[in-house]
Amino acid sequence: MPTKLLSELKPGEKGKIARVRGGGSIHRRLLDMGLVSGSEVNVVRVAPLGDPMQVRIKGYHLTLRKEEAANIQVEVT
Amino acid sequence: MRMAKEITIALAGNPNSGKTTVFNNLTGARQHVGNWPGVTVEKKEGTCRYQGYTIKVVDLPGVYSLTAYSIDEIIARNFIVEEKPDAVVDIVDASNVERNLYLAIQLLEMGTPLIIALNMMDQAESRGHQIDVSQLSYLLGVPVVPMEANRSRGTQALLQEIVKMADSAVQPGRFRLDYGRELEEEIAKLQELISEDRELSRRYPPRWLAIKLLEGDEEVVKTLRVKQG
Repeated sequence: MPTKLLSELKPGEKGKIARVRGGGSIHRRLLDMGLVSGSEVNVVRVAPLGDPMQVRIKGYHLTLRKEEAANIQVEVT
Repeated sequence: MRMAKEITIALAGNPNSGKTTVFNNLTGARQHVGNWPGVTVEKKEGTCRYQGYTIKVVDLPGVYSLTAYSIDEIIARNFIVEEKPDAVVDIVDASNVERNLYLAIQLLEMGTPLIIALNMMDQAESRGHQIDVSQLSYLLGVPVVPMEANRSRGTQALLQEIVKMADSAVQPGRFRLDYGRELEEEIAKLQELISEDRELSRRYPPRWLAIKLLEGDEEVVKTLRVKQG
């Protein structure tokens, strides 16, 4: 299945998280917020300049910086 | 005259789970219920009386997790580990159970006497979610109290569970997250080493400490370094 970075998805696109890269506190925080492999993620909307973006994960909305979303590999469905 | 028994409970929960509303319902304090992050960073305390008990209620900062990465999380977990409250009430947003229960699992891992206050039941229902409260309680091995704190519903039931927990001998929840064979082997080894140190195992739940060491938790590693010199 093709994988993309979450930061590359457009509003309305969705997929399954394949991998969350990186380390340290931001990485841990992303995992804490439910961005773990296997989770479904939908892109809800993206700010005019492409940053930040709002996603739906585990039944709630989360806003991510583009650089954070760029650490998340998604299998597009 | 009967002496009033004093107990301390801590309120934990995700930001915006209604923690401050529950705090106000319990203590009758008139405080501003705000929506900025960090609204409860200062230590907020109140008391309430119920069935001959004086209950000291400590409002912990709202957190998603109990890692060592933010000051809020460190405050919350240090209070639980070091002050050992008689019970921790975890306020869970019923309309967002999956994310909220992540914190509940971490609290269970700390071996603290836990009560889950399943708040915002009305919102969960309006979203079409039905939660089997007794099954949840059975699976986690802790009392679960459905609440609608903004309408003052469930406060009495919560107080009853708090008093019941204080009256009985503390029995930590029987729920245990299985990390798989490889990790469980390492956890077991560390846990054994920790249990040999009497002072250490009295201060920290050995399994929790073992898991935190495997995570490379900076606070825990630092504390142990200082202790061992």
